[in-house]
Amino acid sequence: MRLYRSFVLLLLLCTVWCVPVYAHHVIGRPAYSWNEDSNTPPSMQVDIQMGDYFITYMVFPAFPKPNEPGRINLYAKRIDNDKPFQGKVSFTVRDDSWFNKREERIGVQTVDDNVFRQRFLFRQPGAYIITATFEDRGVPYIIDFPLQIGPPSRIGVIGALVGIMVAVLIAVNVYRRRHLLGEKVRHAAHDRKKA
Amino acid sequence: MQRYLNKLRWASLWAVFAMLVILPLVSVYQVYVASHGYRLLSPLSKRFYDVMYFFTSPFTDDPANSLDVIKGTTWSGSFFGLKISDPLAAIGQVAASLDPHWPFLVTALIPIVFTIIFGRFFCGWICPATLLYELNSNVAIWLQKIGLPTGNLHFNRRLKYGVLALGLVLSAISGSVLVANIYPPAIVGRELYYVTALGGFGTGTIFFILTLLFDILVARRGFCRYLCPGGAVYSLLGRYRLFRIKRTVKTCNDCAKCNAVCEFALDPMRDDFGQECNNCSACIAVCPTQALTFTTSIRDIPYQGPGHLGHEFNKSGQDDLPGQVA
Repeated sequence: MRLYRSFVLLLLLCTVWCVPVYAHHVIGRPAYSWNEDSNTPPSMQVDIQMGDYFITYMVFPAFPKPNEPGRINLYAKRIDNDKPFQGKVSFTVRDDSWFNKREERIGVQTVDDNVFRQRFLFRQPGAYIITATFEDRGVPYIIDFPLQIGPPSRIGVIGALVGIMVAVLIAVNVYRRRHLLGEKVRHAAHDRKKA
Repeated sequence: MQRYLNKLRWASLWAVFAMLVILPLVSVYQVYVASHGYRLLSPLSKRFYDVMYFFTSPFTDDPANSLDVIKGTTWSGSFFGLKISDPLAAIGQVAASLDPHWPFLVTALIPIVFTIIFGRFFCGWICPATLLYELNSNVAIWLQKIGLPTGNLHFNRRLKYGVLALGLVLSAISGSVLVANIYPPAIVGRELYYVTALGGFGTGTIFFILTLLFDILVARRGFCRYLCPGGAVYSLLGRYRLFRIKRTVKTCNDCAKCNAVCEFALDPMRDDFGQECNNCSACIAVCPTQALTFTTSIRDIPYQGPGHLGHEFNKSGQDDLPGQVA
């Protein structure tokens, strides 16, 4: 019985003295849940290294749709001492199309539990570029991230061009396969005569 | 037997190209498996996952870790545990960093040894861009046939050494391997990865399309012959290659089919192969009298005169022609 009491007392003491700890995700960022308010929600994630910073960018949901709210989480920590950036980050957006320069500001965010959270809501589907900008010790950091709203277009301008070229390459080579050798020899003879 | 080498070469080119398409797909599938994120995938990605599962499940229970036997592209990768890099990648790394990274340089040894033995074989047998360039050459022939203008200009073949030197100097100045941006096999490998794994082409595709147009409108296989920095490296390394093609003058009938099919516009009919020949064996395959064969020698045979089965040889007195056996 005495042993039991001692054990209970020890447990109580442990409860009093224990240091409060926060749950952390395995990659070192705090994580409390798996919903959209989590710092590490199930989402599209991009990691890059830029200047003195290692930057992680997440979008929730992983496949955002038009007229549905979503959120960008940005986390930047210094490479040399692992200290998270504590300043302000501004977020802008532009269409990911050729020669488009028009940008729209989404917001400027201060740090919240070491993470910069930017909410968004897009009315139109499309491919967008989110630009996150911050400055540290006089050095500007400008990071572009792609953001796809709604299903991606199946084919772009370059894709169409490549498709046409591949189709022509294959069609000509298959359709003319029996004649190409003869034509090559005839053209070479013609070129020789011209020379 | 040597006549069928050209078919084997086409099979090799298609296999390399297919590999460059399949590897990124495998890589994406591995990422999906490792992240245990099936329920988060888009419907299209789920279908892709199911197809990959169907094909790989008979071979492995652990695709995330056991589908790594071949990785990378022809620029640099690992092949059944063997790390192999393009010699241009090694030279480019040295130029960009000005500090040789020996573990990486060693990976270029196998291609270098093969090039010393087989010459510019990479260009003819492995380069993924060659497949597209050769198909493109046939398109140029067809365009010519239907009356559209195509280019057949000739430049100095040494131009590509200048491109190589300039690329390396700029790489040294910029600290970035700039030659990789204008090297077609590196571009094709990279762009196939982009389009397969990342869902879109990069700017390299535009550059590559321009090289195809250059070949059609300016010079036949012009980029490989006059501008390719990797071609320059392989030509230099393969100058004294051991395996080369030789003409047997006694059985040659001067039909010139070998010259017509040579993609690099060499002159096999006059024994002119030089360091540009990529041992593609197209001339061997087309020769009707089997006068062209592979041989082992570190130099080309000097011009032997017209083929003994040809008109020119028979018209002449048969006394003054070089290479004639009395």
